[in-house]
Amino acid sequence: MSLLSADGITKEFGGLRAIDDLSVSIDEGELVGVMGPNGAGKSTFFNCVSGVIPPDNGTVTLRGTDVTGDSPESLAHRGLVRTFQDTRELETMTVRDNVRLAAPDQSGERTLPALLRSDEMKNEEVAVRRRADQLIETFELDHLADEYSSNLSGGQRKLLELARTLMLDPDVLMLDEPFAGVNPTLTNEIADHVRGLNDDGMTVVIIEHELETLTSLVDRLVVLQQGRLLVEGEPGVVLEDERVIDAYLGGDVE
Amino acid sequence: MSVRDRLPSGHGNTALLAGIGCLLVGGLFSLTPLQAELPSVLYVFVEVGITFAIYGMLVLGLDLQYGHTGLVNFGHVVFFAVGAYATAMVAAQDTFSGIGLGYPWPLALLVGVIAAALLGVVVSATSIRLRDDFLAIVTLATAEIFHSIFVNFEGIFGGNVGILGVPRPIAGLVGDADTRVVATLLVLGGVTLITLATVTRLTDAPYGRVLRAIRADELVTRSVGKSTITYKTQAFVYGAALAGLAGGLFALYNGAVAPGFFTIQVTVTVWIGMLLGGAANHRAVLAGLAIIMGLRLISRFGLGVTPVSGDVFAALRLVVVGLILVAVIRFRPAGIWGDPQELGVDR
Repeated sequence: MSLLSADGITKEFGGLRAIDDLSVSIDEGELVGVMGPNGAGKSTFFNCVSGVIPPDNGTVTLRGTDVTGDSPESLAHRGLVRTFQDTRELETMTVRDNVRLAAPDQSGERTLPALLRSDEMKNEEVAVRRRADQLIETFELDHLADEYSSNLSGGQRKLLELARTLMLDPDVLMLDEPFAGVNPTLTNEIADHVRGLNDDGMTVVIIEHELETLTSLVDRLVVLQQGRLLVEGEPGVVLEDERVIDAYLGGDVE
Repeated sequence: MSVRDRLPSGHGNTALLAGIGCLLVGGLFSLTPLQAELPSVLYVFVEVGITFAIYGMLVLGLDLQYGHTGLVNFGHVVFFAVGAYATAMVAAQDTFSGIGLGYPWPLALLVGVIAAALLGVVVSATSIRLRDDFLAIVTLATAEIFHSIFVNFEGIFGGNVGILGVPRPIAGLVGDADTRVVATLLVLGGVTLITLATVTRLTDAPYGRVLRAIRADELVTRSVGKSTITYKTQAFVYGAALAGLAGGLFALYNGAVAPGFFTIQVTVTVWIGMLLGGAANHRAVLAGLAIIMGLRLISRFGLGVTPVSGDVFAALRLVVVGLILVAVIRFRPAGIWGDPQELGVDR
């Protein structure tokens, strides 16, 4: 059975049908790329699945549970975490606090333990800090740990966002254009991180325009066009597909 | 730097100890024959200090709401007023107008805090999901509605006269005027210091991290699994309850409440104090409030030596306060002690 699946989801904005009866299913441990020309509905698909906006129709299932329209926070608790296309840092917080925030189930996030400064909370905070610092080091941001994240470059922000989501140790990681605006060296670095996470068993879904990196990275490609599923399959096969070439080179598709 | 790494430690504990110390010494003055002598020159300073202690609780609650969580509450005075009226009405004996139930004052104070918190819950339940500026309008409107209610329901709230005959616990214990004001200052100052310690503990903990994350970007905070509505509601209600506590203590210190004590001027004063000192920094907002209230005090003396009439002088005072605010926004947009990067005004 698939880990995450979207069945017949539809989303309209005014008169525009951003996604139209789209069904995609992702198996545990897969590394799936989602591509498509601008306006194909990739980000809307992500938003509907991750609870940012509810779909008009259709169902989203995570581990066999219907999670359609669930809030992002409850999906995060269920193990589905996403990043955003326009990197969204908590700019008024330091890099370390950005990462520490994401630690799940901290007792110090409740009023009473926070006021009493319980030992449980203090020990947890030490553990959270250690884990956060490990992640920050993994992504080579350790020299910036005390910087406000507004001072980070575009690429560093992508790394920070990845570090922050990993603090949650998700089952499904959804990355919205993780390579956008990132230099080639860093792109390879991020791709290596993603591959490593996937090797360790994390299911990853990536939206990306950077075709070379994406096709060499993923197990399976899903191509959207005008809110519908155009083609899906192994990267090599998909890229040879006439319909995909037409869609990307602007051929006559209708 | 403490802002950079808010691990539990530091000044929260100092404030707690100082607060308890103040309460003990204040208690000593109230309960024993010990007397304080106060030169008459200092009298006015002590009185302003008492008001500062009460407004200090207001600004700390507002800082929790706006400074940390980013909730724009332009009606903070309403929670102050509701706390004061509830306390006054439960405790008042033989009030000239309105309702006075004559229950013991500790119960009345508790009712005051709960009443303000409940109003906070109601406002949150209906409006906390609104965007910043809309929440500002809702809170402003709430304050105006309650002001009208207090003025117009004369049979209940005593109209413009308000509620009289509220017991004054410290005045009841201490006959001597000098000792009384000193004891009052110590007790109320102690409560404010304990409040400072409490909110500092809250915001130094991971709890505060979530609040600041909500201020920075609510959607991101949700996407890492935090239930932001819960936190926003809590921050709002805690701020309201603190204002209720301040209101209740004010009623018990003043011995009477009336609409004139709860005008929009209160909200404006605590907002200016917070912005002047630097939002999101508890000690800074208290210092900012001290500056703005100190300025009023100094200008009180200034009236005697300036050649203008009282009306003109009052107007000039407002002009000066306005100019200071303009100067702060222009040159130190994060406030005097605020961190521009933490408040996102450094761009």
